[in-house]
Amino acid sequence: MPEGMPQNSGFMVAAYITAAVILVTYAFLLYRRTLKP
Amino acid sequence: MTLLKTGRWITAVALALLAAVYVRALAFTPIERAQGAAQKIFYIHVPSAWCAMLAMGLVGIAGILYLLLKDPRFDRFGEASAEVGTAFSCVMLTTGPLWGKPIWGTWWTWDARLTLTLFLFLLFLGYLLLRGAVTDRGLRARYSAVLGICGLVLLPFIHLSVYFFRTLHPQPIVLKPSAPSLPGSMLVTLLFSFGVFTLLYVGFVTQRYALAVLRESAESGGAHA
Repeated sequence: MPEGMPQNSGFMVAAYITAAVILVTYAFLLYRRTLKP
Repeated sequence: MTLLKTGRWITAVALALLAAVYVRALAFTPIERAQGAAQKIFYIHVPSAWCAMLAMGLVGIAGILYLLLKDPRFDRFGEASAEVGTAFSCVMLTTGPLWGKPIWGTWWTWDARLTLTLFLFLLFLGYLLLRGAVTDRGLRARYSAVLGICGLVLLPFIHLSVYFFRTLHPQPIVLKPSAPSLPGSMLVTLLFSFGVFTLLYVGFVTQRYALAVLRESAESGGAHA
């Protein structure tokens, strides 16, 4: 990363992980619910 | 192919493409100099907000069509879209503060845009709670349609709130009258992400709609038995 740029990649990683967890969990729960409606 | 299987396939393809969005956004899109890596949250925050607003818009339109035509398919669609919209709202409301903290210095502020998007999320929750609370099918569909229309009315206020009020939230850079103010490579990533999130919305709603059909047929089967 170039010098002088803000060091905040932790927030980026947290956001990407959170989004993936929410969407994949919802996809999985929806799949489970459609197996036994 | 049944509606359920179609929904599953669309969701599976969209999730695979979501992984591609992650790779493109994290590895092949330049880092913005002033904001640093946190600016890349933009590629998931904005499309999730788009999907949440699309979901509420379609809930409202389905509500209008239900009140006009009394077709239960619109009610079922509204229910499906509201649930999926809730999931996308969760993504929007978690990634937003994670972007705001390093850039604005605060997780949250009660300005017009943020407060209205929180209100959108609460409307989704209220819609789902309402559906759970009313047992009569006809009444449930009618009340839900009215609430969905209220959500539809809210959407222009959310989009235009950054023009009407002083807010920390940036103004639209793509959905605006003039050309998008974004470098080409960033715009391509954003548009790719928009497409994938929209496809994911379609996959989720198709599955959720099929689930509603299955439940209704199971209920009516149980009632006959």
